[in-house]
Amino acid sequence: MDGSVTLDRIVMRFGDFTAIEPTRLTIESGEFFSFLGPSGCGKTTLLNIVSGFLSPSEGQVYIGGEPMVGVPVNRRPTAMIFQNLALFPLMSVYQNIEFGLEVRGMEKRARRQRSDELLELVALSGSGDKPISALSGGQKQRVAIARALAVEPRVLLLDEPLSALDLKLRQHMRNELKAIQRKTGITFIYITHDQGEALAMSDRVAVMSAGRIQQVADPETLYHRPGTGFVAAFVGENNRLPGIVVEVTETLVTLEVAGLGRLTGRAGQAALAVGQRAALYVRPEQLLLLDETAAGTAAPATLEAEVESVNFEGAWRMLEARLSATGERLRILLGQGGDSRQSLAPGAHGRFGYDPQQAIVLADDDSPRLDAETGEVVSGQPRERSHAASA
Amino acid sequence: MLRQLRARFGGPVAMAIVGLLCIWLIAMVVLPQLQMIDYSLRPNLLPAEQGGPRDHWSLTNYATLFDNRIHLAIFFKTLWSSVLVTVLTLLVSYPIAYYLAKIATPGQAALCLLLLIIPFWINEILRTFSWFIILAFRGPLNELLLTLGLIERPVRFLNGDAGVLVGMVYAYILFMIFPLYNAIESLDGNQVRAARDLGAGTLRTHWRIVIPHAKPGIATGCIMTFMLAAGSYAVPALLGSPGSRWFTQIIYNWFFEGGDWNQGAAYAFLLLVLCIGFMSLVMRLFKVGLADIAK
Repeated sequence: MDGSVTLDRIVMRFGDFTAIEPTRLTIESGEFFSFLGPSGCGKTTLLNIVSGFLSPSEGQVYIGGEPMVGVPVNRRPTAMIFQNLALFPLMSVYQNIEFGLEVRGMEKRARRQRSDELLELVALSGSGDKPISALSGGQKQRVAIARALAVEPRVLLLDEPLSALDLKLRQHMRNELKAIQRKTGITFIYITHDQGEALAMSDRVAVMSAGRIQQVADPETLYHRPGTGFVAAFVGENNRLPGIVVEVTETLVTLEVAGLGRLTGRAGQAALAVGQRAALYVRPEQLLLLDETAAGTAAPATLEAEVESVNFEGAWRMLEARLSATGERLRILLGQGGDSRQSLAPGAHGRFGYDPQQAIVLADDDSPRLDAETGEVVSGQPRERSHAASA
Repeated sequence: MLRQLRARFGGPVAMAIVGLLCIWLIAMVVLPQLQMIDYSLRPNLLPAEQGGPRDHWSLTNYATLFDNRIHLAIFFKTLWSSVLVTVLTLLVSYPIAYYLAKIATPGQAALCLLLLIIPFWINEILRTFSWFIILAFRGPLNELLLTLGLIERPVRFLNGDAGVLVGMVYAYILFMIFPLYNAIESLDGNQVRAARDLGAGTLRTHWRIVIPHAKPGIATGCIMTFMLAAGSYAVPALLGSPGSRWFTQIIYNWFFEGGDWNQGAAYAFLLLVLCIGFMSLVMRLFKVGLADIAK
């Protein structure tokens, strides 16, 4: 059973609007693959192209090597789990699961046997005769999974199916989905705007923005070696310090950042040239509070900031601070250790350093990025715009 | 209801509203109906004999229908034809309602609804007359079919029931489309998509997903259409031939040509019983209650 999916130069236009820029991608058979991106980035459009609800303006979709454009939804070897699950409310659990089997003309007894197996797989044995309205949110989720698996799809498409669940259940269902995927060996294509979900479950993730795939990588690579500024900002938290490249060595790049001087970080994948606009990304957990006594002489660069607020999050604290020199926001993550950093209170000044190997410098291209203040996607304009708006 | 009204308007106003409603219902609905029942049970007498020894209640007027084979045949034919009108209207309206509710863009739906409603700004008699013209032996429909070469000689559409059926389906289509539209509109589009995704074709998707969901709307539309069809006078009078008389025409004749109100009232009540019977049958068939229909 070959459940590989290939998108070959897919383009999707709606009138003048291009929802999907030319996209090429191969998803391996049996892979748990996620499309991660903010709403409106085109990930649901891509899913609808694979499932057949939309026909691409250009390009071809192959599932298991067979071309799919022109094959109607009901003839494709895919099954979809909808965001709102779309269970049939007038039918029982059994009837829901057996709907697809009935369509395929399976005999009644065989249908019942198959749906009992599936109910066991999703840990709902004995609930077959219940009406849908009698189920809890998590149980409905399981029925939706069973119903989609019943038709033995080669590819299972999941459109943010966990978004309606509460946090605890969502985390539980993540593990369960992953386990079901391992057990069945079916290719899972998962759509989400929740990076936690994508990172926790996926073999590989494609980060999307404005109809374009920004990077395809496994979760570790995505987090530690983001390919573009958008990925750096969207996956996990990141502090962005933009400047001009002044020095490039084999592994390190140094930037001149207005008001902060020279900052050095690891070079990203794309080569940078001196004089180019670029930004240094350093994660909140990589920022270290420098001792007053050490005077910061050993650190390659120090960032002076005033703490604005301290958010206690249980296992850690997140500090919101503003750089004294530029007024840019800086986020610092503090562990639960009993060190002096705990003494930082709103209004306090701190000096922070980082290990250049733990920061990354990426070209400040025109790709969209996240606004640090609002968390919204902004198109790749010079940074003065958002800055002026917040000032 | 009284409590809600009182909370909103205060005691006296609430009482006044409820009081007016009661007066309306009693004076305009209940009392006239009771009077008609009274009529239907009395013999048709000269004014001088009224209140006399022969003026007593009996079921004679009701029995007349069952003794008169022609009237009885028309009674059942009306029942059958009204069912036919209802089914035809449903078949015509369902695709339109589905299109309006699920496929059309808001602009298309608005335009389509407007086109459906505009003819209803014209009086029913005039609308029916226009069908009379269209369906006439030398009318435009026959002309068109002749020109297209589909028929060799004009067809007498107005002979028999065809004209009546066409006229009624047209006259009552909105009463079917709106309940259907409301019911289908509330269906989550993902239900249809999910059915398609699980392999169902168009027919099965409608049969298993859309129609079960739209059941209350279908029941409402069918009941309204049936009642209107069974109680229609203008359409059969204008588009019917002598061979396709409607029961309402018999009732009319008793009242206004036979001058026998008592007999007419009895016939009218039998038609009412028939309609109520049909309504409860449909409700049982579709497993819907009055509350579903009121929605």
